[in-house]
Amino acid sequence: MAEPAIEIRDLSHRYDRELVLRNLDLRIEQGEIFGFLGHNGAGKTTAVNILTTLLRPTSGTARVCGFDVVEERHAVTQHIGYLPSDVRLYGHLTATENLEFFAKLSGVDKPRHAAAEALDYLDCGDLANRRVSTFSTGMRQRIGIAQAIVHRPEVLFLDEPTSGLDPIGVRQLRTTIQRLNADLGMTVFMNTHLLSEVARVCTTIGVLNHGELIYKDSIAETVRRFPDEASLEDIYVRMEGVPA
Amino acid sequence: MITTIAGHELRLLVRQRTFLAMLGVLGVMTALAGVLGWSSHRTIVQVYDQAVILLASQGKPAPPNPFTLKPSLSLLSNMVVYIPLIGALLALIVGHHALADDQTGGVGRLVFSRPLDRRIYVAGKVAAATAVLGAVMVASFAISAAALLIVNRRIGTGDLSRLAGFFIVSWLYLVVFALIGMVAVIINRRNSLGLLTATGAWLVITFIVPQFTSGLTPSASLNPTTAPASTSQAFFRATARVRPYSIAEQYKEASAHILATSQSTESVWHTALRISPIVGAVLVLTIALVVLIDRHDYSRSATNE
Repeated sequence: MAEPAIEIRDLSHRYDRELVLRNLDLRIEQGEIFGFLGHNGAGKTTAVNILTTLLRPTSGTARVCGFDVVEERHAVTQHIGYLPSDVRLYGHLTATENLEFFAKLSGVDKPRHAAAEALDYLDCGDLANRRVSTFSTGMRQRIGIAQAIVHRPEVLFLDEPTSGLDPIGVRQLRTTIQRLNADLGMTVFMNTHLLSEVARVCTTIGVLNHGELIYKDSIAETVRRFPDEASLEDIYVRMEGVPA
Repeated sequence: MITTIAGHELRLLVRQRTFLAMLGVLGVMTALAGVLGWSSHRTIVQVYDQAVILLASQGKPAPPNPFTLKPSLSLLSNMVVYIPLIGALLALIVGHHALADDQTGGVGRLVFSRPLDRRIYVAGKVAAATAVLGAVMVASFAISAAALLIVNRRIGTGDLSRLAGFFIVSWLYLVVFALIGMVAVIINRRNSLGLLTATGAWLVITFIVPQFTSGLTPSASLNPTTAPASTSQAFFRATARVRPYSIAEQYKEASAHILATSQSTESVWHTALRISPIVGAVLVLTIALVVLIDRHDYSRSATNE
């Protein structure tokens, strides 16, 4: 059996007195597109922060591409790409300069070439020499994805990637995620609220409720399990126990 | 990796308007120090020449040229004032911008999700700031040397060495403020508060601490003065103890001795000792910065400033 892309065991995290993640156990196989669902404050972003090594967990372990996020931080960061919600870049630099810098940080041999390739892949070569401060939210999001894939990571973490995007931007993002998964074999871990997108893009979903994982299965199996519900939104509402 | 961080920082800095504006002001003030010196020199020499002619017509002996009695670098004594005022503010801005985008701007989440050691990051940022301030001091040195050459018609190696010594000490003094700018950013959640904290520290170091030390002489916060006469009163004993740690005062005193414009004389060793609090401040602030960045939570979202 192949090594999982992400393996989380008994992971908990506490901010001051508040326990935001409770004994989380999760396994995501290579090549999956995983949709992590949950209400605001459920702990989704905290989980991503731990998996991207930005935050040390209070207890438990997490491994990405076989490396421990605390003990082997350097190795983990060589294999991941990350797009936070509300992505910020260096506004005074052009798109190419931003990507070149992040490629260098990841140890890419030819950073300028990698930057151009990433921009071309996302069809935003026209933005290459423009300063990021002049970009719209949608443009910034595309350059944000470009920075996340400029070093061809194995696992891509997307935290609320559709926030602030218009319907066309959402559709473009969906296509991009599917292409990254199909062309480059990237495993995608996506925190999102947009259930329609999850239904269209993800292969597996997990639902987090007040820091606890209450559900995890493939989209196909989920639809089979809840035959009475018309949509993923209805299924999600039922799982969360919220009156429709 | 240090060069990647430092090179990136330099690229960002030259696109910051506030930095360029402060750099322009410092350059103009440096040139102005020379122009003012040249202007006063020319006026005094003209008056002296006329007085010599008048005295000669009356058969009286002429007094010696006043400039032969003054130190050759005295024309640049205003630089000792400009560096703690404008130079230090420029250094604060350099330090502030070095970390602001990554801290309050939220780019740090992307930077630290890469295989980057935080100590390397600090080293790169500090290297960039010190390089920028070094370049500014080299430019100021060139402008000052040119001004001296124009006014005095010649410039000896002794004067050049003193001038170089002054700008090296000034660079070290400015590094303190760049580090203060960095520390202030990292301990504040908001960009504006970071700059405000740094400016507050600059005010305390430049104006308030000197008031508790040699502040009894009214011009002491701006110009180097001789130490006040010793006294047995407890207040003065306390201020005398603080005085060695006042980096603004030690900088002014050391600079005045290096430029040989001080009213008093002291050994090279004594002048070197005056620089030690500045070196100490650089070390303490660097260690503080390493610790703070090592512990900093870059996962938090950016503030909307």
